[in-house]
Amino acid sequence: MQRIFESGWVFLGLASQAPGPHDYFTTSIYRTPIIVMRGADGVLRAFVDACPHKGARLAQTRQGNARTLTCAYHNWSFDSSGRNRNVKWKQQGCYAAAFDADSHDLAPLPAFGDYRGFLFGSLTAGAPPLAEHLNGAAALLDLVADQSQDGVELIPGSVKFTFEGNWKLQLENCSDAYHFTSTHPSYIRLLEMRRERPDETTARSVWENSQAWSDAAQGVQGGSYSFDGGHVLNWGRIGVSDALPLYERAVELGERVGEAARDWMFNMRNLTIFPNLQIAENASSQLRIIRPLSASRTEMQTWCIAPKDEGAGARRQRIRSYEDFFNPSGLATPDDTVSYENCQAGFASRVQPWLQGYARGMTASRPGGNAIGDRIGLEPARNVLADSMLCDETLYHSYYREWARRMAGEGGA
Amino acid sequence: MTRVLTRQEAEDLAYREALLLDRFDWPAWLELYLEDAVFWVPAWRDESTPTADPDRELSLIFYQGRRSLEDRVWRIQSRQSVASQPLPRTVHTVTNVLVEQAENDWGTVSAAFIVHRFDARRERDHAFFGRYEYRLQSRDGAWRIAMKKILLLNDIIPTVLDVYSV
Repeated sequence: MQRIFESGWVFLGLASQAPGPHDYFTTSIYRTPIIVMRGADGVLRAFVDACPHKGARLAQTRQGNARTLTCAYHNWSFDSSGRNRNVKWKQQGCYAAAFDADSHDLAPLPAFGDYRGFLFGSLTAGAPPLAEHLNGAAALLDLVADQSQDGVELIPGSVKFTFEGNWKLQLENCSDAYHFTSTHPSYIRLLEMRRERPDETTARSVWENSQAWSDAAQGVQGGSYSFDGGHVLNWGRIGVSDALPLYERAVELGERVGEAARDWMFNMRNLTIFPNLQIAENASSQLRIIRPLSASRTEMQTWCIAPKDEGAGARRQRIRSYEDFFNPSGLATPDDTVSYENCQAGFASRVQPWLQGYARGMTASRPGGNAIGDRIGLEPARNVLADSMLCDETLYHSYYREWARRMAGEGGA
Repeated sequence: MTRVLTRQEAEDLAYREALLLDRFDWPAWLELYLEDAVFWVPAWRDESTPTADPDRELSLIFYQGRRSLEDRVWRIQSRQSVASQPLPRTVHTVTNVLVEQAENDWGTVSAAFIVHRFDARRERDHAFFGRYEYRLQSRDGAWRIAMKKILLLNDIIPTVLDVYSV
């Protein structure tokens, strides 16, 4: 927790969660409460959400708007730029001169950065610049941010769930093409049943025109890219299909961002920005924040992320498909999280029967990029091109290289 | 002949649904729902506001039509979902049943629920609680469910929430 979450860049939220002056949202980095506020000057800043007087958490809600934040305990107050406005009964307080020498402002995060509306912070100074941390994976955030001219938003209604397993199980599962057909056969079969007997009440599947998961598919159906810093993408070919909510803007996107980036937006893409951000664009589109609660317990905060100004029909389809696939109350995610818990149980073994899950793709992994990624200028550290059944596992190596580097005390702080 | 919903009839239906879920009597449970029934578990916008528009906001579950409930039941029984076998043991406790509106052949009902769930696989238990809102319709001499809205108040989900958990 100290070396990976409490030092170095972690994802905090989207700039669109605090769109106007004095808007704020709250989150946490492992144990530390965080507030991200937009000042009267329109500038976003991130602070520890705790009063410098006694440490009481200031903001009591996940989001809000406040010119002044007043601590409910002893009424010290702060403006939306984090500056202290008032120390109650200061003149009468018989403070020593040293007190005046202290700043009474909210403690800003030692590092805070905004990449195209994706906000990151660090609890320690000395992290590399955000651009260096993201390196080539930034181009994959562009594929999300560029889906609308006005950017992306979180659809109202977030869902939180927990599982009794280590946070890295979630890290891996997002990138795990191998599990899909074996963990989710009931979901896949239900999609087939809906296709055989369609009606108005069920959500359309984005996979209905895709061969990406079919045993019969020939040739390159997807693969993986891994980047320095532990960021990883696995992807599958879908193509510009009217089964995707994005289809309504296919022409506009082709003109605005170019056909290469547009075609990539229509591919299935599961992106991890190490250590705690995942954006999964497959059945629908999900933004996840991974928060370890202990070595064997993890909290997931999840949202449906979508381009702004989406048509009503496309938005409805995106939401229905999201609920089906991504919710812990849906038809697929419970089979993942129960499997994480089964893994966590098996991890207790000291006989090490569980370390054979990192070997698929060993002879297919290549340094650098490939022609498919070159179309959008992707510059990964390594890549794998795969048919539908290769299901690369070497992309996890990127997670663990960064994990090992940070655990050795390098890079984060 | 039209019917006017009484509290006893509303209680009978709510208690029967609870029992059918606890017994995993899926065919009889589905039979309580009309073909075009709405089954809705909203998510929460913030600390105090549940989502209200399923087409523009996220729900935990939103189904228009019994078919999607049939899909859930198929999945639960399919032996193709690791999360669904073995099923947890549950007891649905339904209280505070009130008929809020009673017109000819339809009525609305509110109730409170606690579902105790024991996950024998992991040897852990949990209680989901909240409120039910039913819209009931008289059809062929029996009250059936036209709409059930389940407002889950403790919405941090431990691993799984399924139709039998609320």
